[in-house]
Amino acid sequence: MGPLWLSMELAATVAALLLLIGLPVAYWLAFSRWRGKFLLEAVVALPLVLPPTVLGFYALVAMGPHGPLGKLWQAVFGHGLAFTFTGLVLASILYSFPFAVQPLMSSFEGVDRRLLNASAVLGASPWRTFCSVILPLSIPGVVTGGVLCFAHTLGEFGVVLMVGGNLPGVTRTASIAIYDRVQSLEYSEANRMALTLLILSFAVLSLVYAVNRHARRSLWTPWAAR
Amino acid sequence: MGREVGAPLQVRVRKARQGADRRPFVLDVSLEIPPGITILFGPSGAGKSTLLDCIAGLVQPDSGSVRVGREIWFDSAAAISVPVHRRKIGYVFQSLALFPHLTVEENIGYGIARVPAREKAQRVDEILSAFRIAELRHRKGGEISGGEAQRVELARSLVTEPHVLLLDEPMTGLDEDLKDHIIEDLRAWREARNIPILYVTHSRTEAQALGDHTVILHAGTTRGAVAPSG
Repeated sequence: MGPLWLSMELAATVAALLLLIGLPVAYWLAFSRWRGKFLLEAVVALPLVLPPTVLGFYALVAMGPHGPLGKLWQAVFGHGLAFTFTGLVLASILYSFPFAVQPLMSSFEGVDRRLLNASAVLGASPWRTFCSVILPLSIPGVVTGGVLCFAHTLGEFGVVLMVGGNLPGVTRTASIAIYDRVQSLEYSEANRMALTLLILSFAVLSLVYAVNRHARRSLWTPWAAR
Repeated sequence: MGREVGAPLQVRVRKARQGADRRPFVLDVSLEIPPGITILFGPSGAGKSTLLDCIAGLVQPDSGSVRVGREIWFDSAAAISVPVHRRKIGYVFQSLALFPHLTVEENIGYGIARVPAREKAQRVDEILSAFRIAELRHRKGGEISGGEAQRVELARSLVTEPHVLLLDEPMTGLDEDLKDHIIEDLRAWREARNIPILYVTHSRTEAQALGDHTVILHAGTTRGAVAPSG
């Protein structure tokens, strides 16, 4: 498999899994009244400030043959986790976590509390309120979160290098391949891949902004401003 | 179903909270609200909305109890607090809260989601025509005017056949013509269903037209008992 396709597969897998994991975490962060909530908020935001190599280093240690996750994986599946595609997915989930949780959380927080009260008073359980009111009104956040995770994973370098190494077809993603080509002075090939990534990222971000603009307009309510 | 039509609402609650001006405020109320419309009067900041929120379960009282007939919704001594969505309450808030992404029809059907489809459609149709809003049925909640939204909201609360109805200034901003229509609708509805209705308003006209009883709330406490309106 070519590096670009491998990157795409990794990014799509990570984005899908992160939305699934991000929804309950963001819901809890948006609505919990626990005083120590800021601690979890800080943990979620950590990957934004940590150098990818730091995150990658600890992920590698945890996934290695002597790390807790590596040992567990070995015991259950009979093979290691480091330098595999699955290992890359796990590390990328950690790395892109805030990109999923933060847009979801701010969308959930932006839903008018009066609507949540109205839903409860009309007999809807918290689960139904989430599915019928909170989620439909948070579509822009879901789209932003998904697309940002995809784009961020597509462009990651340090974490992939630490955890995945450079195995063709298994862990050699586009960003690693570009670095490789530059090292071996194959500038035109490096440029072809870099340009593809650039255009792809631009297209993806334009899509996010366009969708959000449209969604904001269609959810606008004349009386909500009162 | 264990439904008790005609059961009075008994509220005995105490709730300390910070007022709008950040000064401590204590709501301390003991009331029995009979079936029919009870007008709740009182200046701004007297605790009217807090009282309604305590009855609905949106605000947890510090102590006391809330009962409708033999149903207990809240009792601090017995550690009972029925969640909001199981209280069978109709509540029209002071500010509008229609779901903007749902149509008027879907908004009204929201509270009767578990009713069989045919009966649900019939009940929605009936209330749409009773409130003269049938032509709005396919419009989104966010696309209609404030006056229309107010009528939809009232219809949405009534269609669930609540055991208690709470109305927090439901006619603010409506023109006189529309008010007369709604007063008419509410009167007819009150005749058909004998449940306690607590109606917050500042308007003497509305109070005179609708009130069976009156209670005055001042600085968190009631003045006198629930008295028949005269």
